Amino acid sequence: MAEDMSKTGATGERTLVRDISFCGVPENGSNASMVDVKDGRIIRIRPMHYDWKYDPEKDMNPWKFEARGSTFEPSMKTLIPPYSIAYKKRVYSPARIRYPMQRVDFDPDGERNPQNRGKSKYKRISWDTALDIIVGEMERIKKTYGPTALLYQCDQHGENKVVQACHGAGRKLLRAWGGFTLQIRQPDSWEGWWWGNKHLWGCEPVGQGQQSNLLYDISRNTELLLFWGCDQETTPWGWQGQLPSRLSYWWSDIGIKQIYVCPDLNYAAAVHADRWIPVLPNTDAALYLAITHRWFTRGTYDKEYLKTHAVGVEKFEAYVMGEEDGVPKTPEWAAPICGVPARVIKALADEWAGKRTTVVIGNGGPGIRGPYATEPARLQAICLAMQGLGKPGQNQAKMIEWGLFDKPDQYAQPKPLRVPNLRSAYTGGHPDETNHPSFIPKTYVPKAILEGECDWYGCESETAPRENQFVHYKYPADGCSKIHMVWTDSPSWITCWNSGNDYVRAMRHPDIEFMFCQHPWLENDALLADIILPVNTKLEEDDIAGDIFSGQYNLLFPEHKCIEPLAESFSDYEIAVMLSERLGLLEEYTGGKTIPELIKYGYETSRCDDLISWEELNEKGYYVVPTADDWEDVPAGFYNFYKDPKKYPLSTPTGLLEFEAQGLVEHFPDDKERPPVPKWVAQGISHEETLGTDRAQKYPLLVISNHPRWSVHSQHEDITWLREIETCKVTGPDGYQYHPIWLHPSTAQKRGIRSGDVVSIFNDRGTVLAGAYITERIMPDVVYIDHGAKWDPIVPGEIDRGGAINTIVPRHTTSKNAVGHAVSGFLVDIEKTDLEELKRKYPEAFEKPFHPCAGPGLEACILGVE
Amino acid sequence: MGKVLVIDLSICNGCYNCQVACKDEHVANDWSPIAKPQPDTGQFWNKITDKVRGQVPKVMVTYMHTICMHCDDAPCIPSCNVGAIYKRDDGAVIIDPDKCRGNKMCLAACPYPDVIYFNDALNIAQKCTFCAHLLDDGWTEPRCVDACPTGAFTFGDEDDPKIRELVAKAEPVLMPGHEDVKPRVFFIGLPKPFIAGAVFDSEADECTEGAVVTATNVESGATCTATTDGYGDFWLRDLEPGTYNLVIEKDGYLPEKTGPVDAGEDINIGDIAVWKT
Repeated sequence: MAEDMSKTGATGERTLVRDISFCGVPENGSNASMVDVKDGRIIRIRPMHYDWKYDPEKDMNPWKFEARGSTFEPSMKTLIPPYSIAYKKRVYSPARIRYPMQRVDFDPDGERNPQNRGKSKYKRISWDTALDIIVGEMERIKKTYGPTALLYQCDQHGENKVVQACHGAGRKLLRAWGGFTLQIRQPDSWEGWWWGNKHLWGCEPVGQGQQSNLLYDISRNTELLLFWGCDQETTPWGWQGQLPSRLSYWWSDIGIKQIYVCPDLNYAAAVHADRWIPVLPNTDAALYLAITHRWFTRGTYDKEYLKTHAVGVEKFEAYVMGEEDGVPKTPEWAAPICGVPARVIKALADEWAGKRTTVVIGNGGPGIRGPYATEPARLQAICLAMQGLGKPGQNQAKMIEWGLFDKPDQYAQPKPLRVPNLRSAYTGGHPDETNHPSFIPKTYVPKAILEGECDWYGCESETAPRENQFVHYKYPADGCSKIHMVWTDSPSWITCWNSGNDYVRAMRHPDIEFMFCQHPWLENDALLADIILPVNTKLEEDDIAGDIFSGQYNLLFPEHKCIEPLAESFSDYEIAVMLSERLGLLEEYTGGKTIPELIKYGYETSRCDDLISWEELNEKGYYVVPTADDWEDVPAGFYNFYKDPKKYPLSTPTGLLEFEAQGLVEHFPDDKERPPVPKWVAQGISHEETLGTDRAQKYPLLVISNHPRWSVHSQHEDITWLREIETCKVTGPDGYQYHPIWLHPSTAQKRGIRSGDVVSIFNDRGTVLAGAYITERIMPDVVYIDHGAKWDPIVPGEIDRGGAINTIVPRHTTSKNAVGHAVSGFLVDIEKTDLEELKRKYPEAFEKPFHPCAGPGLEACILGVE
Repeated sequence: MGKVLVIDLSICNGCYNCQVACKDEHVANDWSPIAKPQPDTGQFWNKITDKVRGQVPKVMVTYMHTICMHCDDAPCIPSCNVGAIYKRDDGAVIIDPDKCRGNKMCLAACPYPDVIYFNDALNIAQKCTFCAHLLDDGWTEPRCVDACPTGAFTFGDEDDPKIRELVAKAEPVLMPGHEDVKPRVFFIGLPKPFIAGAVFDSEADECTEGAVVTATNVESGATCTATTDGYGDFWLRDLEPGTYNLVIEKDGYLPEKTGPVDAGEDINIGDIAVWKT
């Protein structure tokens, strides 16, 4: 097939290899795709075929898994997701920003009207005017308050770019300029692991288990897979594609049982589950405790292992058996809390104890992103430890980010001969960077601005080690200014972070004298900016990329632009260059290197320069890294620790599994929300978000919110071919495509809600409209909604039409001393929306034009659209 | 030489790549004389529908696919009063976009729903072409097949032994009164109803493993059995639609009868208590 598929030229088409993935960190590329172009237009986007220019047997050292009489081989093509295939719709989206714009009621020399951000329209201005205003404001702010008055929001996630730097190109420029305040993206999607498990089993920098060679280990040794809040048919798509799907089918074929524990029948459970165990959102801690109670009671755990591999077991046992608080954590105790019948908990505990079991996670997944996420995360690890963590077939496996942060112990797939790395040529911001002395964890940005001061522990970068969680910080830092100007190149705060409505209020605060944004699309936080600059998409740029997350084969390829930049757009890097020129820092910023030179420099420092010449790489268009010969010998997961914990200690203070965390005993001995020994925490000073609390009388439904199926966080919301899919959008009677909320028929019936109705989801933090999707895929009294829907305010900071559920998620962090965000597992109520009444009350909001199939676009926000 | 398409529903993960790739190929691209552009939204030459089966917690999803069957005796071909529809040597049925006059005869003649669409803007009928323009350009398979990540779509020559083997495991979808149209699209894993439930020992509050559940079709007397697992779960799968009576038996327990159960659609009959003798 490949030979034929590679045909180009017959119809005058040119085929270019591009990385169309959305993690936005240089060493994390994926989803290599073939883009066919003709006459300056993108014709199609399709999977890339590894064997286009290479002979698999001769050049690629193909790997395969042989287990239980069956063989699994990687595909000869990349397994890209639908939004990579549909990406030309994103490129040509009606929401593309075509030229620089200024908010009509923002006058840098007069009235600034910050209170109108999110409401006012925009007018077209020239690049010169836009850059003059930005540079003028930067210099004024610096002179008035000092450079740390500028907050730079430049987090990862976005198109994967290297030289053209999606997000963070300004960091180097601002350092040269004299400083700034950096929004540190607190480690999200890893909340429970990062703030909890680093204290239990180490595993820097993220706190997830060691992954090396686990896919092979599972295939050979595991009898039972527990997918716990994991949806491998959703979360990995934008990162790495669909190998997890193929593997999951094969694991079923060879007799490995799959159980899914989650409140929703997620997309993976829908097609792979041997059993679905619905659990109430964010009550997993109680379920784990009951499992350990059964094991302690019946002696069905590995006592000998714990003697040599763990500390604090007796304290944990005392809590579980009720010696500490008089409440034994029996299955009967847990059942009403977590919604799983006691007999099912017993059966699960017994099956886990009797079979070689690996727990599978999808990074955070909703199960580990709620209030007090540290507790279920640590309790999961304790369950694994009690059965002998690291024995063949017994680990914690991830279905995403295989090879994260260039770390060998994160390589779950067969090891490649070389891992391409493009960090040296990367011009954007990296998760491991900090910015002393002035930074704010992203979760604390609204609090910092609205309250004027705040303090917290840790989070000086996304990869800061465990010990950093004990360091105290404050805003404003000593000798630094409060924030008076915001520059964002990653404008998706509202729909992705904690209590987006607070963020909206913060950006409308009079202290924020100027806000500017650069982005390809007019969406989310961009609607708050005073000046907006148009960025082009990656298909309009030259660059270089690596595909290292697919789990199949690693790739390195130069990327040639497919089409010319649309209208007046430039890359993020080019914008930083333009600003540096005006600030007199051009040479310092670029180091004298041109973009083609940076691309070649990327190749020279890629670790693959000895494997293929620059000339051959350009001639073939890509390079496939062969599999390492000795990939089968790499020890799987925690195997070394299991064999010899003294020789291969963990990075915890004792080097062992700490059921009682020594660091927490030392620094936070009285923390009730993240106690040294993990517990079931129903509520505390930070959160009251469980059933059975007083708040639940008013808001009786629990929300579960995962990463979206049809977009990557906030990306791809305008692709018409996805929006017409039943589970992507629900068209309301007013023709507007609402974001779906899943309701069980019984939940809907109680409220008189019918399929397709527009409903209001509300709590004391605001209201979000959505479209009712009534289904047996969600348990009663729980509702499901993806995060990431495009914000479309009816009243900014109060009511949203677009379905951006994060506008009303908890404002407080994971717990008092852990500044993660809590974005799933919280209370709301739902009612059928009286659309006519809303229209009468807010006529302007409902008169805004929207594209019937692509949603809100430029049209609604621009004066005099051409 | 004739081509066939086999769609294996049992390994379709519902990613919609096939539906989206079809749009990427045919929306805003003019492949005359094989096909003119498809409207941006609302029409699907390759359509997926989510079939959510069962009730909490015995639920699964099967993704149903609708696509032109490229029948060898396609009723659409003789129905066209301007002769715009023809069959190629490779089996693909094509509506010639230049000859079509928008008379809509084919829409009425096709026995399958959601296969032929009418493009109002161009005043022509349109449908799947097996991406014949690509096959003519050297491709070996249509876009939907190339885009499928799991191998649920297989396209090939009907004389290829591998394809023949696959077709032998598959079945066509035939509509009542149109059993003789000879489709070139075959399916594996077409869903048939299940009855599921869970058995438990009420006194001990434990799930009951190893109970044998027998379902008897009230009309035909045909039986089907399943044994409960560690959760007491049983799944009686691939049933003929109909009404069934169930008996649950396990040594040391009183037999438990339940029914009649309407298995016209997939059904979870819930938790059933059994009692020690």
